[in-house]
Amino acid sequence: MAAADTPSATLRHHDLCSRGIRLARKMRSDVTDLLDIYVQRQGLDASISVAAVDGVPAAAAERWAEQTGTQRLLDNLAAYRAFRSLLAQMLEEQREQLGDADAELGPALAAVLLQVSAFTYHLEELLELESRGAPAEEGSEPPAPPRLSLFEQKLRGLGVLRELAQWAVRSVRDLRQLAKHGPGSGAALGLPESQ
Amino acid sequence: PQNLKCVTHNLHKMVCTWDISSKRRHGQAEFCYTTNDHLPRCYKTKEKRVEIPVPESSITVKITTYSISGTAFATRRFEINKKDISFVPLAPHILSLTPDFSTFTLTLKWSDNGSAFPYGLDASWEIEVLRKETMEDVTRESYNSKLTHEDVIHSWKWKSDMPLECTSHYVRIRLYINVTQFDGHKDWSDWSPVEVIPGKDTEPSGSGLFPQDTVVAVGSNVTFCCVHEEGRQVQRMSYGAKDYPLIRLSSRSSAIRVLNANASDASGTNIVCRMSENGMDGTVLFVGYGPDIPEELSCETSNFVIIKCTWKPGRASGLYGVRGTKYSLIESISGKNVSCEVNEMKKERVCGFPVLADQKTYSFVLGVSNPIGQTEASLLVDLNQRVHPETPEKLTVSGNSSTSVRLHWYINGSFAEIRLLCQIEISSAHSEQKLHNVSMPGGRFSTYTAQLNALHPYTKYRFRVRCSAADHFWRWSGWSGTEEHTTLEA
Repeated sequence: MAAADTPSATLRHHDLCSRGIRLARKMRSDVTDLLDIYVQRQGLDASISVAAVDGVPAAAAERWAEQTGTQRLLDNLAAYRAFRSLLAQMLEEQREQLGDADAELGPALAAVLLQVSAFTYHLEELLELESRGAPAEEGSEPPAPPRLSLFEQKLRGLGVLRELAQWAVRSVRDLRQLAKHGPGSGAALGLPESQ
Repeated sequence: PQNLKCVTHNLHKMVCTWDISSKRRHGQAEFCYTTNDHLPRCYKTKEKRVEIPVPESSITVKITTYSISGTAFATRRFEINKKDISFVPLAPHILSLTPDFSTFTLTLKWSDNGSAFPYGLDASWEIEVLRKETMEDVTRESYNSKLTHEDVIHSWKWKSDMPLECTSHYVRIRLYINVTQFDGHKDWSDWSPVEVIPGKDTEPSGSGLFPQDTVVAVGSNVTFCCVHEEGRQVQRMSYGAKDYPLIRLSSRSSAIRVLNANASDASGTNIVCRMSENGMDGTVLFVGYGPDIPEELSCETSNFVIIKCTWKPGRASGLYGVRGTKYSLIESISGKNVSCEVNEMKKERVCGFPVLADQKTYSFVLGVSNPIGQTEASLLVDLNQRVHPETPEKLTVSGNSSTSVRLHWYINGSFAEIRLLCQIEISSAHSEQKLHNVSMPGGRFSTYTAQLNALHPYTKYRFRVRCSAADHFWRWSGWSGTEEHTTLEA
């Protein structure tokens, strides 16, 4: 299937990228606010260090500069799909633990989850434009998380939000790269045509 | 032979032991004793120890020692009176020591070996709990019982002030039997062998911060311990934002003690243990109140379909989500039980219970519980005396007369088994507002009608209606909407 490179596709690609950048920036600022609420509501020390959280893709990428546009999109898509299910799980835990007492953290979490879902859809659109199509989500349900203690749950939530904030920054940079090179930049670097 | 001592463990038999003063090598010894009415009885022994029945009165003992070759060395006589005999029960035997980690409770079970003793003796037990690597004494508690000439299994519970995982807990027990008619010296038994509940700090990979995710009442004192791998050190432990002094329990376990805990936030107070090599562990403590007894419990029905109970919750528990206060409504005549969905943040508390066929009286118990405690309130209700009808709807006014009108309205509900009293408010521009009461049989989800006479012709009236139970007034419904109607000209 040839890479789409018509003027309308380019226009559409540029539009999707710039809208994606705006969404990622908004997400970035909302996640930063959410982090402050989260640390305060969970009684955590803001400086507490959190080990890498299972299932959370790291935003830092080796040889980031050499990635193709498609690889960037695929990495982003995998990450935000993971964040979508992690945030949904956090929201459920929040409701279970705080119930009616939480009028702030739950809504803020839900708002960010909405943005992550929107951004995920956005990435899928961009991949469609790459004439590549977004990979299907592996299996319908993510594996059930290990039973964590409440403190571990709090730390994992902090780890998820910190990493999401990093990803929001990376996504802005990735989309800027994409915007520079136009649709099908994956193919431009000699990647085999998708069968 | 010297230092002859006789000790009985069971008031039936006694063991007599003695020493040999000289250093020469000895063979056997002959132990002979006579009570005043018997011939001497003799025993040969190499043990310097003989078991004989406890005598009724004093006895005379003659001990002769022999050389290896059998020649007699020395003979000595002893007079043993009853008061010279000591009574020391055998050390008790612990049957089981069972931990309940969720409540930090140890349950000790032992047999009192009562069959070995006459009926009715008073037994005093001392139970000692020790802790830490150094087996420090934590508490020594007494427990009294009566021996019944049967072997009775006793059970004793003890709640530790710290989680049992923190470090090993040891328990032992000893016995004292107060035999008033025994003249001799009475003493405590030896301690039983120690039983141990190993702490997590003895397990090769045992680690963690305990207790895990617990709920306690405001004002509680709580001990938290940080169990870690061998070689690591606990650097500091904090409760909320404050560091606490460390208490060393063992090489792999350190604790802090929080006194008089304050109410926690909804997400609980974090306890963090920071260790060497960037090690960190944590747990969460929820500190709240047990539920208050519900006040002003009141139940009524607005439609004979659902009974609505309301109450005032009292002080907020400070516990939310899965730890929030749970309410259930139990009706003891029918045995039916309903759990109530309650929003902890809302002041009003409501719970619905279905009206049951052929049941007029309801004996309600509102059960209230949360992880800290439970309480209840009860109420006996005759439903016919607790009718609070819904607001009348669809009020219409009809009439083609100059002095009378007919009002129609609908009330949602099944009132077939009672009479209704309805009050019609009549207002017009130039006459005083009047209230007209009318009673009528109740119906099932039906429309009701009333006629008003003696109205003024060609006059604009405003009508509205409300209803209540006729026989046992409880509460008026709300007022219906207002309907306007102008009577015809005369």
